[in-house]
Parts: sequence; C-alpha cells; structure tokens
Amino acid sequence: MPKTVGIDLGTTYSLIAYHDAREGRPKCIPGPYGSPLCPSVVSVDKDGSIIVGQAAQRRLLTQPERTIYSVKRLMGRGPSDVQDELKIFPFRIDPASKNVIRVRLGDRIFTPPEISAFILRELKSWGENYFQDSVERAVITVPAYFNDAQRQATRDAGRLAGLEVLRLVNEPTAAALAYGLHEQKRGKVAVYDFGGGTFDISILKLISTTEGDIYQVLSTNGDTHLGGDDIDNALFTLAREEIRTQGVDLAAHPETVQELRKALIAAKHELSSADRATVKFVLPDGGAQHNSIYFREIGRAEYERWIRPIVDRTMAPVRQALADAKLAPAEIEEVVLVGGSTRVPLVRRTVEEFFGRRPHAELNPDEVVALGAAVQADILEGGVKDMLLLDVTPLSLGIETMGGVVAKIIPRNSTVPASAQELFTTGVDNQTGIDLHVLQGERELAKDCRSLARFQLKVPPGPAGLARIEVRFLIDASGILQVAARDLRTGEEHSIEVQPSYGLDDAEVERILEESIEFAEQDFSERQLIEARNEADTVLRATEKALTREQAEAPDELPEEERRAAEDAVAALREAVAGSDYKRIRALVDVLNQASLPLAERMMNRALATVLEGKKLGDV
Amino acid sequence: MIDAEDLERRFHSLSWKLHPDNFVRASENERQLSLDRSSQLNDAYRTLVDPVARVEYLLGVAGMRKEGTKKQQTPPELLEEVFELNESLDELRDARASGGSAAPTAGLRAKLETAQHKFEASLAGLDQELARVSAEWDRALGSGADDAAQIKLMERMNEVLNRRSYIRNLVTGVRQELVIRDR
Repeated sequence: MPKTVGIDLGTTYSLIAYHDAREGRPKCIPGPYGSPLCPSVVSVDKDGSIIVGQAAQRRLLTQPERTIYSVKRLMGRGPSDVQDELKIFPFRIDPASKNVIRVRLGDRIFTPPEISAFILRELKSWGENYFQDSVERAVITVPAYFNDAQRQATRDAGRLAGLEVLRLVNEPTAAALAYGLHEQKRGKVAVYDFGGGTFDISILKLISTTEGDIYQVLSTNGDTHLGGDDIDNALFTLAREEIRTQGVDLAAHPETVQELRKALIAAKHELSSADRATVKFVLPDGGAQHNSIYFREIGRAEYERWIRPIVDRTMAPVRQALADAKLAPAEIEEVVLVGGSTRVPLVRRTVEEFFGRRPHAELNPDEVVALGAAVQADILEGGVKDMLLLDVTPLSLGIETMGGVVAKIIPRNSTVPASAQELFTTGVDNQTGIDLHVLQGERELAKDCRSLARFQLKVPPGPAGLARIEVRFLIDASGILQVAARDLRTGEEHSIEVQPSYGLDDAEVERILEESIEFAEQDFSERQLIEARNEADTVLRATEKALTREQAEAPDELPEEERRAAEDAVAALREAVAGSDYKRIRALVDVLNQASLPLAERMMNRALATVLEGKKLGDV
Repeated sequence: MIDAEDLERRFHSLSWKLHPDNFVRASENERQLSLDRSSQLNDAYRTLVDPVARVEYLLGVAGMRKEGTKKQQTPPELLEEVFELNESLDELRDARASGGSAAPTAGLRAKLETAQHKFEASLAGLDQELARVSAEWDRALGSGADDAAQIKLMERMNEVLNRRSYIRNLVTGVRQELVIRDR
C-alpha cells in the first residue's frame, strides 16, 4: 500500500515523515547516514549524475561551481529579484534567464523547481527504501508568507519529482499540528518559526468542538528573506573584513569561501551553548604579514551585538500579526519555537521578553514541521478524522485598476479557501480583450506589490459597456490562486490564458517532465548499472574463492560438468560486466549463483563436518 | 447585533462538513463543489463577524449603500484637526522635496501622533454609534416598525459608515508617514 508522506522542504535541511498508525504518532524517516536531516544541497557530477544531501555538502568545498545550497531562496522569483542575494550567495544565474531563473551547475542548467525536485526525489527514495513500497503522494510544507508564485514553484517541484502533491501546508501551522497532538493544549498559540532562510509568525486558536479539534489560524506574517543564512552572512562579512586587514582579499580566492563559511557556522552552533567559540581558518597564500591562519575567538556578548539587528527584524512581523489578530502579547497563552535558528539564545530571550512567557521547544525544532506535515497527510487520507486545519492567505489579493492603483479583492488573513467575484466590461466599442493584472501585497500601487499573473479575457465584439464578464478568483486550501471567467450574458465559461510572472507555465513543466524522464531513465539506469556491477563483483569473487578451495581441499568432489558450468558462467558474467546492460548482468549473476549452488552447499557441509568432528559424539 | 459565539460555532460546524480536507479522495465534481462552498462559507463568516462589514453588507443588499462626497464625509467637529493634519503633511512633503530626511522630525512626529490619537478616538466613537444604531435597527425589525423608520435607520448607518471610512483613511495615511524611518 503506497504511503502518503509529509515533507519539509527546508532552506538548509529537508525531512520526510509519516504517520505511524500503530504507534499513533508521526515519525521522521532516517536517511542512509541514520539522520532524518537531508541537507538541502545538490551537486551535479561530471558525468551528469545528481548528488543530494550529505555527499553533496562535501562537494561545496571541493567542487563549489557544481554545487548549490539554499535554492529555496530562488523559488518563485525572477532574475531581477535576486540580484541582492547574488552579493552574498554564490548562485550562478544564467544570463539567458528571462522570467524564470536558470542556474548553472557545472555545464548543466536547471531551474529552481528542478533543483528542489532532486531533493524531493532523494527524500522519496528514503521513504521507498524504508517502507519497501512506493511513495506517490505527499503533503509539502511552505513558509506561511510564501506568495502564490513561490507556492506554485514548490508544487511544480513536487510534480517534477513524481509526487502527487495533495496539499501545501504552511510551516508554522504544521508545527502547531505536531505540537497540538503532542501537548493536547487549547487556547491562543503563537508559532515563531525562524529557519535557515525564512521567518514566519502565525497566531492560532486551538478549539475543541464536538466533532474534534480545530486549528484556526487568525493571522500570519513574516519575511521570506530572513533566516539563519543572514546570521551566517553577517559573520562572514565581519570575518572577511578582518581577514582583509591581514592583507588577504578573499574575493581573489573564491574557492576558500565555503571553508570559511563552514568554520563560521560551526562557531555559531557552538555559541548556542558555549560562552565563546573559536574560528580557525587557513588563509590562502599569506598576505603582507604572512600570517597563515585567521584565528578568532568570538565571545557571546560580541556575537549577540552583531546579530541583534537580525533578530530585531523578526519582531516587526510579530507585532503586525498580533495587531491583525486583534490580540495583545499577553493574551497569547502558548508560544512555540520552530526552526534551527531558534536555538540561538538571543532569539529565545527576545521572544520570551516580548510575550512575557517562556516559549516551548520540547519538540525538536528541526523535525516538528515534517512531523506536522505527516499529520496533515494522515488527515487528508482519512486516517485522522477529528482534526481540522483552517489556514489563511498571508497576502491581500488585488487587481490593478486605472492609474496603477491596486483594488484589493481578497484581504490578507482571509480563511482559505477564499473567493471573490468581480464584474468586468469593455471600455471602447468592439474591444475584443480585457487585460487583467493580478497582484499580491498590501501596498496601494501596483508597482509596489508582487505581480502574480496577467490574464486576458476574450470578449465578443460589441458596443462599449455591453459585455458582462464575471471573473471568479479562488484561493484554494494550499494558498494557490485559481481563476475562472464566465460571460454572464451567454452563461459560457471562458477560457483564460495565464501568463505567470515568475514561474513555469504548464507547458514548460510538461516539457521538463518529459526531458527529466529521459534523464531520469539515464540516472536510474546508471545507478542500476553500478549496483548490478557491484553484485556481480561480489559473486565473482566468492565463486573464484570457492573454486580455488575446492581444487585445493577436495578436487575429487568437484564434478567436471559442474566446474565447467561454473567457469562458463563466470566468463559470461565478466563479459556482461564489461558492457552496460544492467539487466543482462543481473540475469547472469543469477545464472552464476545457480551454477555455483552445489559447490556452495558442499563447502558448507564440509565446514559443518569439521566443526562436528571436533565435538564428542555425546555433545551433538 | 449578532451573538459572536453562536456565529463562530455555526461556522466551525459547517467547516467540518464542507472543508476540502474531507474531499481529497472524492470525485472531481465533489472536490470543486467543496472548494466553492467552503470559500463561500469563509467569505460569509468574514462578512458577518465584523460589525462594519455586516452593516455594509446589509445596506448593500437593501440598495442603501451610498458613498458620500468628501464634503459630506468630513465630520464638522473634526474640521480643525483635519486642517492641522493637512498642514503637517504639507510640511513633511516640503521637507522631503527639498532633500531633507524622509522621516518626520521630532516636532512633526509629535503633531502627527496627536492627530492619529484624536482620529482613533473618533473612530472608536463611531463604532459605538454604529453599534447603537444597529441595536435600534434590530429593535425596529422586532417590533414590526414601518418602512420609513427602517429607511431612516439605514440612512443613519450609511452616514456613519462614510464618516468612518474617511477617518480610517486619515489614520492609515498618518500611520504610514510615522512608520517611515531613516535607515
């Protein structure tokens, strides 16, 4: 029975979890190294094969031009949006990128959804390995403050990974689900989610009704470009400056940047529990002073001074979310911390001071979002029937009107699904199309809001003002916009051509899927070939050893036909291994196993016999 | 006037039945219906739970929602404050135009904050007025009052909404200016 999973597709780490029906709780699935944390790092090998996770992380140091981290920062954004990011992140954006970013890894080019799809596929394989069954459906989490384009990009990534995405769930809400199940609490809860690249604050009400527990989001706010990465970058900027005073300009040595970053991140982690941490970094060919090492002790007080502005930035969305929920900080009964960056002591203190109560962090801040996604997956599959999630859309939806002003049609923090209808008509005689520009954001002017898409409504020709086209905007439970149009005079549903401003349109996703199936076949075949060759290797060596021993120990017991059959099988297998047909290799491995079975049995019996001989008759 | 708790209870109860979560494995038709109905439910709740939206909706249905002109909207008792506010905002714009800092000076800030508090107090007053008129309306309905009485009440509600809308725009404008800080 294929399992439905919950996936946390994070900036720094990604995780996969499922709901264990027997134990009645969600659990994270471990990867090949035993940890459920899969670093969100992707690397492309010279032969084109894709490496994800811990193995890719090592390549950040050895082959940085083929490796990418924090790709979540690029999802649903256009090339012009990310120019600031490029100053601190080594993203290699292809100059041919138009409205979709294309990233260069080695000599291949990928869009961010494709790269995220590699991570999802890796997690999918963890799940399939764990269940020994296929994984086809998933709930994937997104930052609550992700806009429509960012959500669509995530959904596209799921599709590209061969997953049916049942729902996108907001990360703080998922955490609330996991927390609620764990703690069985009721009341008003604030979830403060500070991850690697994004910050979210959600205010929820947990209510018990006769039908079950309702998790109702009252408001949500955040910053999709504020996270632990910013702390890392602040440390990096400072370190780079200090190194410059030692006479070394790191700009001239880009290959060492990742080493320094790694050392700084280690120090950051240390400073979550210790009072001081040391950074040791070997300088690339010594500077004027020929100091070959950058040695820096960082004290807690100094560290907190540096990162205070970053932590303070999280408080403005918190205040806004409370204002939108019409609540004062003291009215919040529980505060939950989510995300690795909440391990920083300054963050915990700041949150505690603001709400006047100690925040909860009993659940592992790295795992809680994935666990919550697994719970939601179970709800959707009909497993859990007494929990209901009522989430909201984080940004107001609007249409551009005359003068470049935005008319809001669905306000922010509206419970989803949410809809609005607008009536449109023509302005001039025989006008055949009405152009619509849909945006998300809170500002007055279209140019200050986030462009989602442009549509054109086809109108039958006629005098100005006669046409009556009703457009229905619907934001679904995943927070993604659907648009439908109806000609009120004819009752006909009109088709709408959507031009997404920052994403892949359906045709492109299809194309990538087709191409990737080819590549997937290739990648898949390559992996199968490697595995098949390994199996062949093992059985060849074992057979050789056995044959040699048999010759040495009991040459009379080896029948001629058997020896010949075994040797023929060995020769055939060797030939197949030299080729690239993994199916053939596998088949011949089977043949060799069969041919050498009597040999193996005899060896076994002899071994037993020697053991038995050594014992007294009475002991057997 | 509405019993907020009762409204919420009904909202939750209907949500259990209509929410798309229950229809993930259902047919395409059921899924779309669930999406439509639950969005209607959410929109309805949003309209009913907010007293101002509720009155707007009521007036809209009765065809009595008419936005007034600016002149009609400015509450006479606030004329002076509005005048002073416009002066402050002009000062701020001049400062910016001549290349000064974008953030208001301390003196201007104080003036703007005073204006903001005054207008917020007015808003609170208007909300109370709206609640009072709404209660009268409920009573009028209950006692089977004639159309003329109902129309008069609705006109009064309309007036309050217009003033409220005007003052709220003022408050938003002031808040936006105050939020601007020098980086």
